[in-house]
Amino acid sequence: MQADSKRNELRQCIKDALANRDASTAVQLARDLLTASSKASDVLYCANCFASEAETLVKQIGLKRLRTYLVRSVTLEPVLPYLSTEAVLSGFVLDLQAGGYGSYVSELLQPESELARFQPDLVLIALDLEEVAGRLPALCGEGTGAGVEAEIQEAAARMQQLLKSFRERSSARLLLHGLVIPDITPSGEVGDANLPQSLMNAVLRLNQRLAEVCRATPDCVFFDVDRLAARHGRARWCDRRMFLASRLPLAAEFFPAYARGLVRSFATLFRAPRKVLCTDLDNTLWGGILGEDGADGIMTGSAFPGNCFLEYQRYLKQLSQRGILLAVVSKNNPADVQEAFQTRAADLALSLDDFVALRIGWGEKADALRELSQELSLGLDSFVFVDDNPVECEAIRTQLPEVAVVEAPAAEPWRLVELLSERPFFDATQITDDDVNRLQEYKAQAQRVDLARSAGSREEFLASMEIVCTFQSALQAPLPRAVQLLAKTNQFNLTTRRRSAAEVEQFLAAPGGQAVVVRVRDRFGDAGVVGLALASNRGDACFIDSLLLSCRVIGRGVETALLACIAEQAVRTGAKRLVGEFIATKKNTPCATFYPDHGFVRCAAPEAAATDAMFYEFDLTAATLSSPEWITMEGTEQHELSASTALIA
Amino acid sequence: MNSPQVPPSLRELLSDVFEISPEEVTPELSTTTLDNWDSFRHLQAVLAIEGEYGVQFDPQRVPELTTVALLQAELEKKGVSL
Repeated sequence: MQADSKRNELRQCIKDALANRDASTAVQLARDLLTASSKASDVLYCANCFASEAETLVKQIGLKRLRTYLVRSVTLEPVLPYLSTEAVLSGFVLDLQAGGYGSYVSELLQPESELARFQPDLVLIALDLEEVAGRLPALCGEGTGAGVEAEIQEAAARMQQLLKSFRERSSARLLLHGLVIPDITPSGEVGDANLPQSLMNAVLRLNQRLAEVCRATPDCVFFDVDRLAARHGRARWCDRRMFLASRLPLAAEFFPAYARGLVRSFATLFRAPRKVLCTDLDNTLWGGILGEDGADGIMTGSAFPGNCFLEYQRYLKQLSQRGILLAVVSKNNPADVQEAFQTRAADLALSLDDFVALRIGWGEKADALRELSQELSLGLDSFVFVDDNPVECEAIRTQLPEVAVVEAPAAEPWRLVELLSERPFFDATQITDDDVNRLQEYKAQAQRVDLARSAGSREEFLASMEIVCTFQSALQAPLPRAVQLLAKTNQFNLTTRRRSAAEVEQFLAAPGGQAVVVRVRDRFGDAGVVGLALASNRGDACFIDSLLLSCRVIGRGVETALLACIAEQAVRTGAKRLVGEFIATKKNTPCATFYPDHGFVRCAAPEAAATDAMFYEFDLTAATLSSPEWITMEGTEQHELSASTALIA
Repeated sequence: MNSPQVPPSLRELLSDVFEISPEEVTPELSTTTLDNWDSFRHLQAVLAIEGEYGVQFDPQRVPELTTVALLQAELEKKGVSL
């Protein structure tokens, strides 16, 4: 009875909140109600409330409205309220329309179909085995199943063609339901497992092929219904009575799980995964409290309960290996933490190197997250915060509502990994090399910022970075990269001439010609080829045609080193003056005073120069241009860029 | 008129399914008197009732349960105390 009165109270509060146009409270209350109650009537109640206030939800809390069309061969109407409610809880308002049974081909392909006129943002395709590969059950039962493989290939090819044709006419996002693997078959459970042509194995393979088809179709996601069925129990997933009587493909008790899974799948088509996980240490990454129990006393390792934490660490390690950045945000003494990671290394699945940043101290955790967000240049909406302390969790929820918070169950540490995996934060349908490499690049960036904070002066900071510049001929370095720099660099680009690969090569052939690229690395990482200069001699002067640097490395003295390299080479080829040119654009103000800053003086423009160009010269016989002391130069001796032409000159 | 004959739990459940106020759920309410009560809502109602009371209806009987009174009687026949 008490539960009922609580339910009724929540229901009334939802209605009141919506009446008061307080959409975010209404959504939170609905979440509370549906967490506490799995009653169909409560889901229907929420669905009805939200349906009448869709506009408020969109306008007030920015839910994404999706015109959603369901193409199906089964009965899903009773699930739709679950779907729309679950969507609201995940940030979407669905305007749902269901198509007729069995007309999916014409609906998807005909320009005048209901579906086409509906102009959906999202199309959900829910077909059963009969529609996708109707002959498969018979073929599986036939002798040795000779026709099974061909039917699987044909079914996948039909689907591919269907989606391809659809994609040619529509940019609506697609979700394709996978098939639930039948587990009541004539071959029985032993035969299902052992016969390659058993229906179970055939549908398993067909599902894999359908997933491949989805991968090959742009903006299409595969919804693995069988995974849900297996997780919740295939024996109960489908109520045969209701399937045979009403073509209802799943039992009512699984409507919530199905709706959650479906929303989670299509959400990846509209939303990028979060990128950073900030974890607490005590009673989260390991058991116990480091400050009290000491490094030897904290619980981690192969024995229970330490293995619960080890499991969490392994989970994080895997996230980091696919490009999710890990950070420690903990109230502790940094020295204690260092010691714990050192002395307990054998019992920990993570080392300090696995973290992109460490925020260990006694400050506010919300401040730490704000700082991290700045340092990593990632919005707080890409952050996930894991902590066992309910007070810390609540502080983050209220101060930084964009951050997703996972409260680690300190008393039941074995549940943490499951709690984390239930949330869709890191769902991704593809992982690129960029994702994986991003980790190193962010890590280097965060360390540079760390160092800048701790260093006394700029020189001291730059010296401690151990910057090494390697100069090479543009032909030794990958030429396409040099041309890419010419094409893309805007801010630190003195003349913004978009030279082609052929033109770069011509510089090397000219008298005193130079085409130098600079590679930069420091103690944190290798930034690769980031700068380029083109120059050639006319008379007694060396003219710098182009000089540019990627904005990632500006401010570390690399630009000066590049100029010094050009000057040194110019002297070697007999030039008396070095002439620099600056052409102002809307974007290149950061380098407007580059030449004057290096001791160049304004001079007259040579004939045939662009009218908006300003020229500066440096007397190479009176002074030398030298590279900053904190930079180590490499390759200057070997970069006989134009040794042959120098001799000619 | 109030409808004391429909037990509160069933009345509230059906009001959620049919999107009407609990007072409108009378024993006489039927598929013919309520526009909202179409075949999909009927299935929805049956599933919700089965879940709420832990019973299973015979699919052959389901299409015949066209009024609130008939649904209630079927539940009572299954031994559910409302």
